[in-house]
Amino acid sequence: MKQKQVHLFSSDFWEKEVEIIERKILEDIQLEGLNCSIEKAKKSEFYGEKLKNIKKIKNFEDIEKIPFTTKDELLKHSPFSFIATDLKNIVRVHSSSGTTGRSKYIFHTQKDIEIWADLVARCLYMVGMRKDDIFQNMMSYGLFTGGLGLHYGAERIGALVIPSGAGNTEKQIELMRELKTTVIHITPSYLLYLAHYMEEIGLSPSNDFNLKIAIIGAEPHSENTRKKLENIFNINIFNCYGLSEMNGPGVAFECPYKEGLHLWEDNYYMEIVNPKTGKILEEGEEGELVLTTLKREGMPLIRYRTGDLTKIIKEKCKCGRTHRRIQRIKGRADDMFIVKGVNIFPSQIETVIMEFPEVDKNYQIVIDRKEGLDILTIQVEIKREFFKGDINELRNLQEKIREKLKERILVTPVVELIEPGTLPTTTGKAKRVIDKRRL
Amino acid sequence: MGKQISIFVENKPGKISKITEVLGKAKINLKAMTIADSGSFGVIKIMTDNNQKAYDVLKENNFLVSLQEVVVVEIPDKVGSFHKVAKILEKNRVNIEDAYGFITTEGVKAVLILKVKDVKTVEKILKEKGYKIIDF
Repeated sequence: MKQKQVHLFSSDFWEKEVEIIERKILEDIQLEGLNCSIEKAKKSEFYGEKLKNIKKIKNFEDIEKIPFTTKDELLKHSPFSFIATDLKNIVRVHSSSGTTGRSKYIFHTQKDIEIWADLVARCLYMVGMRKDDIFQNMMSYGLFTGGLGLHYGAERIGALVIPSGAGNTEKQIELMRELKTTVIHITPSYLLYLAHYMEEIGLSPSNDFNLKIAIIGAEPHSENTRKKLENIFNINIFNCYGLSEMNGPGVAFECPYKEGLHLWEDNYYMEIVNPKTGKILEEGEEGELVLTTLKREGMPLIRYRTGDLTKIIKEKCKCGRTHRRIQRIKGRADDMFIVKGVNIFPSQIETVIMEFPEVDKNYQIVIDRKEGLDILTIQVEIKREFFKGDINELRNLQEKIREKLKERILVTPVVELIEPGTLPTTTGKAKRVIDKRRL
Repeated sequence: MGKQISIFVENKPGKISKITEVLGKAKINLKAMTIADSGSFGVIKIMTDNNQKAYDVLKENNFLVSLQEVVVVEIPDKVGSFHKVAKILEKNRVNIEDAYGFITTEGVKAVLILKVKDVKTVEKILKEKGYKIIDF
């Protein structure tokens, strides 16, 4: 095995004094930041109206009096109505990665871009990226924040950045080989596809590359998927969380202990609320993440409902950082689907599938309705080496997967075994769920 | 030792014709075929005049294939000849997991394909009884 230098459990910090700041001081900063942000926001047309009766808040309990901001509001109002500064100060706009309907537009001043880059640098430094690293950014550049967001952060550290963008697998592999890429940023589904592709052309993902670290984001994925990928590539993989409304990547990031993601509380005020009632939940309870920007100038967002389900991890992290961690995102509220009245997240299904070595990494969920009954079908690809020609073996496998799924999601699915390579593999966000009921 | 090819197929129209097309192009003669069906998928078993080559071309064409060892035994094409083989195996406590066959010369010779756990032992048993074992 070739040598891999990993800065694991490194005690180095990008901004040590901020990252290990005392909670009491951090909370003071947050309270001040909240008031400051509310005042700034009021300068925008949208919040000028929405928050006109909101006075200064004296403690965190007061925040419950402030109304939420929702995705729908962002979509409904004119993009410019959220800008809290003179338009001439705005230097960049990003837009949500959603492909359907209207887009959400997020505006940044020069200072916003710099703070964001610094925040991403903090994340990347935390997982081990240094000046001498070669960073291939396989996320699409442009309106989507995954490309430029990490690009600026890695440059801030001083790493060599390869702005390869998403897709064009052959070229990606060539770049990785020729330029000896050490760190990549990629979606989990594309990383799976990359492994598949490398093996297909006779390259070993673990031995033929100089890779040390992969940062995966933009799609919810299970812990099993991460472990599987770490084994295939023999690298460290870190989970990254962000959403364009909150800049993009860099809102929360895993540290080398990989036990939840540190959410940078000097930049964001977080709450976990009951998704139905909007009531603030106790620390450690699972609910919807609500965020308020504390530093953004161009477009402050107050109590923004992210739609992402998670919980705050109460315990202090072994790495020493005092910013609280959130659990890996269970799913976006909009990823969730309901079958036979049961809420199901694709990540629950993925976790089960990854437990079966006989099936490949690619899968698809199809939901249909026949004679008024919901039918949930999970299609999985059989691995080539597993097929020994015995139909009973296949039937047993099918049965085992079905039973395991039923146990976890409480709905009995139809499990379809299919030939390897037949499911579509996408280079961006994988379309795992096909709901035919709405057609 | 005889071999048979198993092919995993999704239950969709056109799957068989793709297999026969690939074999035809490679000038491989299909001797026998059986299909085990399990709802959305099935396993097709084939026997050809060149099983190794058939396996290779199917694999090249991205079929999910597997090669298994089977007993291929020549029997006379007449009433009761399968029964004789089955009786011999019964006496030797051999379980036949799967069986099919085809005629090579009408009224003269046929070939029987048997899937058993221990191919070598069964071949030996049948050889001792005077049967001809065919290597495909």
